[in-house]
Amino acid sequence: MKQDFRMTYPLWNMAFILILAVMAVGFTSSFVNVTKTEASLSIEAQALEGFLTFAALIAYLVLITIYLFALQSYNRKNPGKKISPFSMRPPEYMEQDEGMTFITRKAVQKVYTFITWTLPFFALIVMLFPIPRLFIVWGILAVAFGQNLIYYMEMRRHLKEAAE
Amino acid sequence: MLRNRVKELRARYGYTQSELGKQVDVTRQTIAFIEKGEFSPSITLSLKLAKVLQVEVGDLFWLEEE
Repeated sequence: MKQDFRMTYPLWNMAFILILAVMAVGFTSSFVNVTKTEASLSIEAQALEGFLTFAALIAYLVLITIYLFALQSYNRKNPGKKISPFSMRPPEYMEQDEGMTFITRKAVQKVYTFITWTLPFFALIVMLFPIPRLFIVWGILAVAFGQNLIYYMEMRRHLKEAAE
Repeated sequence: MLRNRVKELRARYGYTQSELGKQVDVTRQTIAFIEKGEFSPSITLSLKLAKVLQVEVGDLFWLEEE
């Protein structure tokens, strides 16, 4: 089960999300101007932002290449349960029988509970406080990261118990 | 709460979880979830298990007052 790509899929998602978080620094340009009261202080950080965006883009391309190779290798070894990289349905669902469907449903319920609370709360925070664009993007990515982490931990817990 | 004798009967016939799972067309993990009482199988799966383990469904699964 450890070799099952569907099990490790949320970890790939989390890695992609972390890279996107770095990439967001460049795209949101939040470090360009820092203004202090009385004396104005301007910090030009385009070079740093450019470097971060470029590094993140390279990291993203490297990771997506490794991901596609890993997926191809998995599909070759498991011709009966191939995963399409373009599938709309999240490939991490493990529904090969009723027991696996049961634990997948439990994990998805936990994720749903998490999303139900975090998204409205996050929307409220954004409405009430003047939050820079970068932090809004990071917040959204943090929710996406949390969703994958919860799903992965829940599935791992069940499968670990089944292995004992 | 649903109790069962799957583990006991599986051991009696010398099946591994994988072997029993294969006979009733489910994964080893599902057999483990049933044995631990974490998951209550469908009627179809219960009947299949009872058939393989050569008992009546009522002797394999029963309800226990909490």
